[in-house]
Amino acid sequence: MSEQIREQVSAFLDGELPSSETELLLKRLTRDAELRESFGRYALIGEACRGAPHEHLTRGLNLRINRAIDGDAKPAGGSAYRARSRRWWHPMAGAAAAAGVAAVAVVALQHRAVSPSLRPGAAMVAQNIAAQNKEPVSYTTPTPAAGEAPAALPAARLTNYVFAHSKYSSVLGQSNVLSGLLTAADEDPTPAAPETHRAP
Amino acid sequence: MTKPENRAGWLIPCAVVGILALGLPERSRSADDPRDWLNKMNQALATRNYDGTFFHLTEGRVETMRIVHRVRAGQVAERLQSLDGSGREFVRNNDNLTCYLPDQHTVLVEPRQDHGPFLGSLPRFGADADEFYRIESLPATQILGRAARVIAVNPKDQFRFGYRLWLDEKTAMPLKTQLCDSRGQVIEQILFARLEMPESIPDSDLAPAVHTEGMRWVRQGPAQDVAHDNALAALEAFRASQLPPGFRLTVSGAQTLGEATVPASHLVYSDGLATVSVFVEAGTGSSPQPPMHGLAKVGSGYAFSTVIQGHQVTAVGEVPAQTVEFIAHSVRSESPSGGALPPR
Repeated sequence: MSEQIREQVSAFLDGELPSSETELLLKRLTRDAELRESFGRYALIGEACRGAPHEHLTRGLNLRINRAIDGDAKPAGGSAYRARSRRWWHPMAGAAAAAGVAAVAVVALQHRAVSPSLRPGAAMVAQNIAAQNKEPVSYTTPTPAAGEAPAALPAARLTNYVFAHSKYSSVLGQSNVLSGLLTAADEDPTPAAPETHRAP
Repeated sequence: MTKPENRAGWLIPCAVVGILALGLPERSRSADDPRDWLNKMNQALATRNYDGTFFHLTEGRVETMRIVHRVRAGQVAERLQSLDGSGREFVRNNDNLTCYLPDQHTVLVEPRQDHGPFLGSLPRFGADADEFYRIESLPATQILGRAARVIAVNPKDQFRFGYRLWLDEKTAMPLKTQLCDSRGQVIEQILFARLEMPESIPDSDLAPAVHTEGMRWVRQGPAQDVAHDNALAALEAFRASQLPPGFRLTVSGAQTLGEATVPASHLVYSDGLATVSVFVEAGTGSSPQPPMHGLAKVGSGYAFSTVIQGHQVTAVGEVPAQTVEFIAHSVRSESPSGGALPPR
């Protein structure tokens, strides 16, 4: 990936790429799978470096990284998007900073990992709302336990469930599940492995 | 099938959130109240024509997709298309939602049941949504060269996801959305690279690009075959015995899944924003399908399947894994017979 495209990707993710260049980037991304892969990685790292407003766990680290790698907090005039985009992109060139960025990315990835399974009997107070029609006064969220890796369910059956569900999901949810189905062909190409089936 | 209250078109990430604004006291809202912005966004998404290309980013992967949405004489038509990946497409019109799956040589068709006004079919949020989500404004910014409002809908616990929305100052259309977990970590993003709002959209822009010659057409949807009444009666006795806070049963009925000959019981649980479907299928001993057990990721949501009292129980939703797993594990038959199928 050329430096120019890196800058474009960075500026786009910062919302600062002019529309004419956005069109060009879009065309490139549509054609180039490798570039899409890089784009996805940069989006992840950029998000971690920028620090989402509620990322309590990474906030301090983001700040330290930004201070360490970005002495000039104010972008210079002129090429505004380039100046700002370097705030999270440029450090990638430095080994020490790159290690810090990688650490942030790992933190982000770890929190994106599959949540631990919740076993029957796990510590939680949740009432049957349908039966009692009253919210609990207090409750505890699930206690993380030993994680269970997601097992592939047969792709065709999964598609049927998700498709049937989509019409009842909220509008926000539909965007997730339907986009998920559109990408599912790459992620879920075959029926589940035999070990995912077990007799009752 | 019981008609659900929460139905709506697809991408409009956000539209539903606008409904949050309706359930809150007027006196508590100022001109810049984030709920007002969500309401404006809701209106824009429901009533405008738009044609956009966006990036769907999740777990470091990116797909380019196109969404076309048209409202003409009260009729809504939508098309969602993957531009660089699976080649799959969704097309929604007033009669059907059709899913084109060229990789599976299959076309799935699900009839629509609601023909009312689009906006009127959006889910309604009660004031109690505030118990599980916190809505706030974040500092304004620029995106796609436009001034944008940033609104956050934060979940208050780990049973549901939250959202951050970048709304165009002029139109209130969402230019960027993020799906977040309860810690605020971004799970999925949708970033528009191009968004146009034309006066009119031709039919050709809403027609699928997939060639369907030789593809298998499968029509699934609400079950209407009385021959299966006995089996359905047994399935309909199943309910989730425990639910995460705020979730309640909103829909129950029978649903055919794919090419299955016997319908499944379909239960829908929702907290108003997040929704989980539970499918209970006939006893695994009588089904030609092998029993399943496990967790699968679907986009940013999850599906969890297990066998309970001899029946296949599958929970699917745009919620964290633990939520689908918890609900599926709690499903029980409320029938004295324990959900046993009647003799044939």
